[in-house]
Amino acid sequence: MVSPTLALFVRSKGPDEFWRKRRIFKLAAHFRGRKRNCYSIAVRYVHRALVYATKGRKLKKMDMAELWSRRVQAGCEQYGITLDTFKDTLTRNNILLNKKSLSDLAIWEPKSFETLVKLSRERAVVDSLPGLTERSVMNQVYGLANLKLDK
Amino acid sequence: MEFLAKGLLSVARQPRLINNLSQTFRALSITPRLLQQQKQSLVKNAALANKNDKVSEVEQKECQDVFNKVNTQLAERKEGRLFAIVHLCGKQFKVTAGDIILVEGYWPPTIGDEIRLEKVLLAGAKDFTLIGRPLLPQGLVNIKATIIEKTLTHTKTHFKKKRRKQFMRINFQRSPNTMIRINTIEVERKVDDPAQVISEPRIF
Repeated sequence: MVSPTLALFVRSKGPDEFWRKRRIFKLAAHFRGRKRNCYSIAVRYVHRALVYATKGRKLKKMDMAELWSRRVQAGCEQYGITLDTFKDTLTRNNILLNKKSLSDLAIWEPKSFETLVKLSRERAVVDSLPGLTERSVMNQVYGLANLKLDK
Repeated sequence: MEFLAKGLLSVARQPRLINNLSQTFRALSITPRLLQQQKQSLVKNAALANKNDKVSEVEQKECQDVFNKVNTQLAERKEGRLFAIVHLCGKQFKVTAGDIILVEGYWPPTIGDEIRLEKVLLAGAKDFTLIGRPLLPQGLVNIKATIIEKTLTHTKTHFKKKRRKQFMRINFQRSPNTMIRINTIEVERKVDDPAQVISEPRIF
């Protein structure tokens, strides 16, 4: 004779339990160890992952802006002008390129970027702004000035 | 090069009307036609003021030489592939012919619409760059584009949780996306043409 008490210890939360848990396991498929396979452990880590994803969307925009700023700064420091002075002189000249465009120019259109830097150096001299130094020999991308493309 | 201190005015031949930052930012938020509807009195006053500036003959000639070189290249169609930085839906894109751009958010134009992108901040070729302050004169650089796709973004999960407080919210969000193919970029006019008051009718 089988005891019915043992069967009563197994408690199911309902007919949809499998699919409810599957929603969590799908998001945890790439986790490590029991976090991947055991529901009560996986739930906690999936919730943390979703919160990180939500917060990360704002951080991504901030990170990209910082990256663009650093790239523009690297580009203009080559020519001996600081980022603040560069941006200030561009706005004084009514040139409203944003950080993303300036960084694209600095990478892919070096000659155009150099013309912008020259404009800003002139304006900085005229308006006597700080942040101008000598163009440094050590601070160059080696060989860019001598780059000869195929003719 | 002290002529730069006078704001390149005689050379660029644009009336010096945008001389503070708030007016400059307005240029990007309103259409170029409204921007260039200048009052005739203002234009005349600006021209008068600039006649008194002394720009040396040598520098004037240098600038004219640069313009002539650019114009001869354009006339002989030897400028090559052009790139441009265009302002669209609040964002700036660096485009060239054949590119596909993605614009996120609600934007009315549908698939198959052929569009001219007018707010051009900068245009460049192999040997010269045209820098707009803040925009290039309307109609100088013609950028033709076609809308090729209108989709939604992937599903973004907005999940909020406060630990130990029984507070958990989940929302799903998809916003519309538009893919635009840039067909051509061309320089229509000569580079040192004076800025014109636009009289053609605009749709919006």
